[in-house]
Amino acid sequence: MKYAFYPGCVSRGGTPELYTSTMAIAGKLGIELEEIVGAACTGAGVLQEKGQKLGDVLNARTFALAERMGLTTILNICSTCQGVMAQANKRLLDDPDYLAEVNEELKHEGLEYTGRVIIKHLAWVIVEEVGLETLKGLVRNPLADLKVAPFYGCYILRPSDALGFGDNPGRENYLERIIETCSAEPVNFPGRTKCCGFPIMLINERNSMTMVGNHTTSAKEHGADCMVTPCPLCHLNLDGQQPKAQAQRGAKIGMPVLHLPQLVGLAMGLSPKELGMNQHVVSTRGVEAKASVRV
Amino acid sequence: MRAKLRVKRFSTEVEASANTYQEYEVDVPEHFTVLDSLIRVREDVDPSLALRCSCRASICGSCAMRVNDRARLACKTRLTSVAEEGDTVTIEPMGNQRVVKDLVVDLQLFWGKVRAVEPFLLPNGPEPEEEYIAPNEAMLNLLTPMGCIMCGACVSDCTSLEVDKNFLGPAALAKSYRFVADPRDGAQATRLSNLNESGGVWDCTRCNMCVEVCPKGVAPMERIMELREGVMDQGMTNTPGARHVNSFAKSVARAGWLDETMLAVESWGKFNLPKLIAEIPLGIRVLRRGKMPLPGILHHKHKGADAIGRIFKRLEGKQARKF
Amino acid sequence: MADHDVLVVGAGLAGMRAAIAAHRAGANVAMMSKVHPVRSHSNAAQGGINAALRGTDDSVDSHIYDTVKGSDYLGDQDAIELMCNEAPGEIINLEHMGVIFNRDEEGRLGTRAFGGASYARTFFVADITGQAILHVMYEQILKSGVRSYEEWFATDLIIEDNVVRGVVAMEMLTGKLHTITAKSVILATGGVGRAFEPSTNALICTGDGMALAYRAGATLLDMEMVQYHPTTLAGNGVLLTEAARGEGAYLINSQGERFMEKYAPKMKELASRDVVSRSEATEIEEGRGVNGCVLLDLRHLGEKLILTKLKYIHEVAYDFAGVDMVKEPVPIRPGQHYIMGGIKTDVATRAWDETGAGRWTGPKGLFAAGETACVSVHGGNRLGANSLLETVVFGKIAGEAATEYAKGVGEFSVSGAWQSDREAAIKAVMDRPQNGERTAAIRLELGQIMNQHLAVFRNEEGMQAALAKVKELKQRYATLPIVHKGSVYNTDLIFHTELGYMLDVAETICAGGLLRKESRGAHFRKDMPERDDENWMKHTTAVRGEDGPTMGTLEVVKTRWEPQKRVY
Repeated sequence: MKYAFYPGCVSRGGTPELYTSTMAIAGKLGIELEEIVGAACTGAGVLQEKGQKLGDVLNARTFALAERMGLTTILNICSTCQGVMAQANKRLLDDPDYLAEVNEELKHEGLEYTGRVIIKHLAWVIVEEVGLETLKGLVRNPLADLKVAPFYGCYILRPSDALGFGDNPGRENYLERIIETCSAEPVNFPGRTKCCGFPIMLINERNSMTMVGNHTTSAKEHGADCMVTPCPLCHLNLDGQQPKAQAQRGAKIGMPVLHLPQLVGLAMGLSPKELGMNQHVVSTRGVEAKASVRV
Repeated sequence: MRAKLRVKRFSTEVEASANTYQEYEVDVPEHFTVLDSLIRVREDVDPSLALRCSCRASICGSCAMRVNDRARLACKTRLTSVAEEGDTVTIEPMGNQRVVKDLVVDLQLFWGKVRAVEPFLLPNGPEPEEEYIAPNEAMLNLLTPMGCIMCGACVSDCTSLEVDKNFLGPAALAKSYRFVADPRDGAQATRLSNLNESGGVWDCTRCNMCVEVCPKGVAPMERIMELREGVMDQGMTNTPGARHVNSFAKSVARAGWLDETMLAVESWGKFNLPKLIAEIPLGIRVLRRGKMPLPGILHHKHKGADAIGRIFKRLEGKQARKF
Repeated sequence: MADHDVLVVGAGLAGMRAAIAAHRAGANVAMMSKVHPVRSHSNAAQGGINAALRGTDDSVDSHIYDTVKGSDYLGDQDAIELMCNEAPGEIINLEHMGVIFNRDEEGRLGTRAFGGASYARTFFVADITGQAILHVMYEQILKSGVRSYEEWFATDLIIEDNVVRGVVAMEMLTGKLHTITAKSVILATGGVGRAFEPSTNALICTGDGMALAYRAGATLLDMEMVQYHPTTLAGNGVLLTEAARGEGAYLINSQGERFMEKYAPKMKELASRDVVSRSEATEIEEGRGVNGCVLLDLRHLGEKLILTKLKYIHEVAYDFAGVDMVKEPVPIRPGQHYIMGGIKTDVATRAWDETGAGRWTGPKGLFAAGETACVSVHGGNRLGANSLLETVVFGKIAGEAATEYAKGVGEFSVSGAWQSDREAAIKAVMDRPQNGERTAAIRLELGQIMNQHLAVFRNEEGMQAALAKVKELKQRYATLPIVHKGSVYNTDLIFHTELGYMLDVAETICAGGLLRKESRGAHFRKDMPERDDENWMKHTTAVRGEDGPTMGTLEVVKTRWEPQKRVY
């Protein structure tokens, strides 16, 4: 399957290992990625605070670019991009007048969005299109001893109506199913669907760090060896800011946080280095040991 | 069908009753809601079970509680929508609030926050002889926040309130929006200025939890975003929150995508030296790991940047919110 | 010193409007309610509020006439004139408070059509008018700083020498009893729908104020006048507003006929509620129903209108019956909705006869407003959107009148026996041995018998059977135990007490129905189908006696309108 690939800003900035690991597994899963060249930032919900239409025009432009590539499905590797695009697409498709209004703006750039794009996160593509059976067949290194706490974050879950949960209610459990397919054990914990604190990291650091501390600590207390997240922004906070959260709490946490394609890659037998795990702030050595892979 | 309910119990009058769960099973018709089932338990099995409920028609706001880990109105939640035949439904009191007994919580926190936003019309000058003249669109716009029944579901599940009880929270902020956006109110500037303070609009994490759990489509977070826009339109841009938004927009407008490092620097305030120095260790740590590109001019433009810049020019600031 | 000049029991629209009026008049006023004020049942009023405010051909006189006619000439015309005259000012007052009424193209208040009304004079906020007004009224309470005893349950009216001195009440969060003294008490506790099963009413509508007043020697008026709303949802009986028909919805039977054309050729679906409910019941009885219902068809109104002006009932029909009214007709039937009868008051909301003529009995210092009262403005049948109007008009009058009355009340002290007697009574009930009886079961038996025999169609035999059943239930109630013995938020105890209130009130409903030997308004006797103006242009009265109510009658107040045949 060929997809219009939208890597997002963060996989090219703060979490390059997400890009690396995505590329490392895509081919093996039969996912062909063609990057949408020149696509804009989705606005991440932040730009939308300055005006929803501005964000919607930028995203409609991206959708139009994908259509021009002759591709119908955009693949995201960032939950936030997924959520923001899905919400924009819903607004555009729900109201033909609005879509026409937005297309007026795109006309200046020689583009038109016809409303045919489907937007999917990598996790959804793995479950709904690649199939867990196929993934199972690709697992060379079953992660049998590994206990993994799935951290969904917000944008891949909410608002559920914009994200198509009506037709695909199973989407609320995809991470668990992928974890199980990798032969690891999913760990249920209270932070599972809450906010990682990233959006207020630069606004209310204390609250943001409390969130990081709460989620990583509770994952640990529930027996997890690591967390896995479909969102690089969650990763930036849960991994990148964990030392700060530890300092605020005054207690060592040491909870490794994996990107989704890193977990899948480990199970496929890829090396931690190929998956960019050396680029994490919190050491992933414990995970690597349990996953019994070559370090 | 057989309803299996696992209900969290709490009583100050029974020793060691905190955090205990009690299982009830009752036979109910297929169309029963969670509330119908709980009432049946209370009537037929255990009259000691405490819960609030009244209208049974999702308008009085009494019966918000957590059903399978999520705040919902029990009267609006059909049993079959949360459980397959034979599955157990877990029912707990709302979160973020003190439990009085079983599913009844103390609403002091909730109403205290509502009271804090001066939740009443503050008219501009003397009242007219007849009604205020106001466009119907403005009234229809207020229908969304006015649809709030003060059930507390959003407050129960707010992820920001969970870590900071100083936050006004979704219900109070949506209530505040109801006045800020009311053309008859004369205190918009003061209201927005108050909401710009700590605990106000900028402490929302945009997690969408309140949008998801609101049983009345109020979408409190959307109202908070409109308030942020209103705050910035009033020229109140010297907060980390507003700087964050503006820096973000500037970065995307210039390069087509986001400059994370510059975003941090500008959000803290370019001249906030103590903060910048304090962040140096982290900066070094991430640079050493090959993360976070260098800020500012080194953040390169990408291919679509010019087109994106043109869209910004045409649209930015063109839809300033009129309250 | 009394705790308050004015104590308002009940904090729905009438109660809060009274509290605000008393506060503005300078009284030390407090409200008390067994639920938080915004949980009150005024929320459930959907369609709107009536007033002949301005404009085309409408006039206050027309509003008065429609209301008199709608009441089947049982309403007191002085009270109706007062209410309709005050209506425009109260609408403007609500708008100034912040109610987001629908507007017309010029940005002025807009209206919709409603049942039994000659003109479109119903002001509205989509189909959540009650909620929208209730929440704004509470905003004004917060602004005023009026003391509010929230989740306090009144158990007794304190009456000494036939003068009101306050209440005994239970603070539900602790279970503690308190004596709250007051120079005047306004009862605004709403209706008694829970004495019927099913009912559109909330679980809190248990006739508390009516029973408290009745036990304290007040007079209950026209208790047989119980309104069945024409459009309550199949299944759980939730209300679907008359505004649906106001906006143009049809009622159809199993043959697809718009049957109201037969019964009310001119007004059709917008005839008075008693007329429409009887027509529906006739269709169903004669075999043209659909599973015990008829159908409310909104499809021709279009999705856009439904989703803006009737959004809430769209949600309700979908949530509770799984019907999308944009695409399918909704099964509905008549269901118990409102009681026109209540605590007899004069036009100043006083529950005693201030003239000294002794036309009726009631304790001094007691006031009542809203559904719990009977002024009477609705007579035998209330028009849609007149109930919200009644709450604000008479709520305001009550607040002002009670403040004025309180000024003339000197210092007094209250015996501690009121509270200790109640404590002892509760303990005695708590100590009763379990005998297998349950509060909920007796309540259900009550509701079912009332709904069987005091419904749209009535007759002597049925009402006698209902009265006998109520008496039997009262006997069983005398030994009814309580299972849960705790203090904190003990709803078992609250429901037990409420059941006592409902049984008292239900008995007066049956007795009133048996006394009235004619058909008028909502009281339709198949055995006496004609209205009898010669003998029954009269209110029925019920005063508590040794063994059930002592019944009597009171003349109807006529000003300008002579009874005519009622045709819609």
